[in-house]
Order: sequence, then C-alpha cells, then structure tokens
Amino acid sequence: MQAVGKPDPGAAHTLDRRMGWREIYLKEDWWAIWLGVGIVLAAWLFFANGSTIKWIAITPKKWSSFGQLLDDFAAHSSQYAVQFAAWLAIFCVSMRAMGHRLAHFVPSFVFLYIGSVLIIMVGAWDKASYYNLEAPLVALAVGLIISNLLGLPQWMDTGFRVEYYIKTGIVLLGATLPFTLIVWAGPVAIAQASIVSIVTFLVIYFAGKKMGLDRRLCATLGAGGAVCGVSASIAIAGAVGAKKEHAPIAITMVIGWAIVMIFVLPIVCRALGLSAGVAGAWIGTSEFADAAGLAAAQTYGNYVASGAGVAGKPDDAIWAFTLMKVVGRDVWIGIWAFVMAIIATSRWEAQTDRKPDAAEIWWRFPKFVIGFAVASLLVTAVASQYGYADYNKTVVPKLIAPIKDLRTWAFTFCFFSIGLTTRFRDLAQAGGRPFWAFTTGVAVNVALGFVLSVIVFGQYWTVLSRP
Amino acid sequence: MNAGDHDPRCRSCAHFFNEPQYLERSFPGWRSLGSAYGAARAEDGICERHGTYLSARQWCRHYVARSGTVAAMADLE
Repeated sequence: MQAVGKPDPGAAHTLDRRMGWREIYLKEDWWAIWLGVGIVLAAWLFFANGSTIKWIAITPKKWSSFGQLLDDFAAHSSQYAVQFAAWLAIFCVSMRAMGHRLAHFVPSFVFLYIGSVLIIMVGAWDKASYYNLEAPLVALAVGLIISNLLGLPQWMDTGFRVEYYIKTGIVLLGATLPFTLIVWAGPVAIAQASIVSIVTFLVIYFAGKKMGLDRRLCATLGAGGAVCGVSASIAIAGAVGAKKEHAPIAITMVIGWAIVMIFVLPIVCRALGLSAGVAGAWIGTSEFADAAGLAAAQTYGNYVASGAGVAGKPDDAIWAFTLMKVVGRDVWIGIWAFVMAIIATSRWEAQTDRKPDAAEIWWRFPKFVIGFAVASLLVTAVASQYGYADYNKTVVPKLIAPIKDLRTWAFTFCFFSIGLTTRFRDLAQAGGRPFWAFTTGVAVNVALGFVLSVIVFGQYWTVLSRP
Repeated sequence: MNAGDHDPRCRSCAHFFNEPQYLERSFPGWRSLGSAYGAARAEDGICERHGTYLSARQWCRHYVARSGTVAAMADLE
C-alpha cells in the first residue's frame, strides 16, 4: 500500500473555500470541454477558410512491413513533433491550473506520448486484428505489464490522467456523432440503461445486505456496478456518508471486473456475431466505467474495420456505447446521489446533522457531456449545409476525419494510462462478501444487458447509423 | 473569533480533507478508472475524526474551525 501523507497545503483547491464556479478551471470535466470544443472550433475555422487541421492530426498509416512503417514515420516526423508540442502545451496549461506539478507532468507525458505512438503503430499493422493486437487491448496490456512487473515511480501518475483523456476524447467523439442520432437514440438508451441500472443496483444492494454488509457499503458497491463505475461509487459514498474504507473496496471491485470485461465482452460479441451497434449497446450497458467501456467498444469497432465479418460500421459500436453509457447512465449520477442522500439521512441514520442538498445534482453532473452535445451540434450544423455527396467528399475528409484522428490519440492516452495506473498490489483487499455481492450484480447486469441489447432493442441498435 | 466568522460546514472544518491529490492517495485505484478532479466528486472529502467520506456541505456538532477555534453546534443552531 502506498503512503498517503497529509494534504498539500499549497494545492490549488483551497480547502475551506467553496468551489462553486471555480470548477470551470479546477475540474477535468470543464477542461475537457475547453480542449475538446476548442479543437472542434479550430477545425471548423480552418475548414471554413478552405483549409484543414489534417496536417497536425497525423496518425500512423496501415503498414505491412517495418520498412514501410519507418518510411512513413520518417516522412511525417515533423508533424508528430508539432502535434506532440501542441498536446503538451495545452495539457500543461490545464494541469497547472488544476494544481499539478509540471516537473512531474512533462516527463510522464513524454513517456505516454512515445508509448502511444508505438501502440497506434502496432494497431495499424495489417495483421493486428488477426493476432488480436487491437490498439486498446495492446495499450491496456502493455500498461499493466509496465506498472505491475517493471514499475514506474508514483510521481509519473501525474501524466496518466485516465479520466481527463477519456472525457476529452468523448467531447471530440461528439463532433463525429450527428446530433439527430442523439435525439433519435437517446430516449431508448435512457430507457434501457435505466432498467439495467436500477435492477443491478438493487441486486448488489440486497445481496450485500443479505450477506451482512453495511448498508452504506452496499450502496457504494451498487452504484459502482449500476451507474458509472468508480466515479459513481465515490459519489454515492460521499452522498451516504460511507466509512472511509468503503470506497476503496468498491474501487477494487469495479477495476477488477471492468478490466476483465474489456477483454471478454468484445470476444464474446464477436463469437456471437453481433452487429457493431448491438455490441456497442451491450458493452455500454454492461461495462462499469467510461474508459474501460470505450476500450472494449473501440476494439469491437476495429474488428469491424478489419473486415472480420461483423455487420455495421466501425463507429456504430462506439456511438451505441456512448449513447448508452454517457447519455443513458452517466448523466444521472447527481440524481442517484441526491436520492441516496435522502434515503441515508431519513431512513438509515437515527440522529443526524446531515441534510441532503438538491444543488448537488448540478455540482455532480458530468459536465463534459455538455461539451459532447455542443461538439455534436456544431458539426451537425456545418454538415447540414452540404448535400450527401459533398458531405462525403468535403466535410468528412477535411473536418470530421482529422477530429476523429485526434480522438484516437486522446483515447490511446487514456487506455495506456489505465494500464499504467492500475497496480494490483496497491488495491484495497475487498474480502469475500463484497466480492460475491458485486459479482452477483455483474452476472445479472451482463445477462439483462444482453437480453435488452440483443433481443428487446436489437433491431433498433442494428440500424443505429441508418435511422 | 466567533462561530459566525466561518461557514460551519465540513469544508472549513479542521477534521475535513478534500484536496484531490490527497484523496487519490487515500483511495488506491481511484485514478485508474476515475478521478478526484472529476465533477461527480463535487467537493466531497474525508472526515478524519469520524473516519467517513462525505459532502463538504454537511456539518456536525464536532465542527472545529480550521483556525483551531471550536464552534459548538449548539451555539449555531
């Protein structure tokens, strides 16, 4: 277990000052909006002036021999250098504002970027899919090996900001997702996700209670399995006033099962021959965290792109996942926390000074979702001015494709960071009863998610990109 | 100093810690699939007196202003 130590008195979050709207520069959600929407606006400005940001949005091309790979990299080395400098500059500003030490961030981001270049190169190999070397899986596996077998200094975690990178990637993803699709599929996603979330929460909660666990631990575990993983567990722990040791137990459970699901769900979906949209919906329903779920959904999208005989378009898996997970589950975290706070203070605590505060619904709202919607609206508005042929000939290659390439970078930073920050020896010991309570919920969640995604709403998710 | 000089909620209590780097060190694994810098945490933190994790907007009768002044909740109610 790592040493905790005392809080840093010089940290940006002054402890006894109310945060309020200072969160616009102290929280990663807002920085993901500034960065993601900023990139989309820059892309649009270039596009509107007859140019494109394609030059800086460089990614390794498909390759079949090392010579080809090296030639391509050498030919575009200046583009990689400028892109790296741009990422570093904008991340440095935001990381400094949030109170991180740049002396720690800069070297760890250099490591992260170099590793990401290599990972994307592996994913671009024309045999990668045949050997199951999809970039998200490689990023995760390599990161886990480095952090658990080789080891990196703890201070390097400063550059491995999983949530910041995934939120930035999701905002950029918004620019590639038509707003009309969000409006069309959003209500179904909310309905399906609500059914699964409520059932999963209740199963874990009552299984835990039956096993004699503290109600607050049951709620913390239940939220982790039902809503949005680690973030939900910790939000509910705060709302119900859980014991300090409850949240780390839930974190261990979520991480363990989320990592298993990253590898298992795409393989099972592929074995069952599910279409990209259906697989994305199932992953969105049954994965526990945004970052882990996107790794699984992107892996499935890559199967489609590699011509593995899977129906649908590569983006269908990511779009269905995002609609289900972000729109269907994440946005409700504040309401879950408020309701659980009411239950905890009115039913569980005989004498309490605590009082639920409805304002928490807003303060806990995952603000990056606003950036996701804004990015989608912006690009949809631009695209609506073009006919279908011009859209494919002009808008896609000059505006949307470069944003999608930068999204790939943000996701790769995230997937690699998951592995680099997951040190199994540091995780709290969960114990048998929390494990079985949570695992019961996982089993119900996966089965119910399959029934709803494949059978009940299967037709709907199959035609996702053709409404 | 009287109790009215402070907002007598957890956020200004000497027992309460919610600095994100400290929280991430206290809860191993948090930054693997989450973040103390995320909006969902709001301003929650750890009460070292009660060994609980709770909202900064809460209060209790054991409030101690960070300056060290004890503010008895009985006087505040």
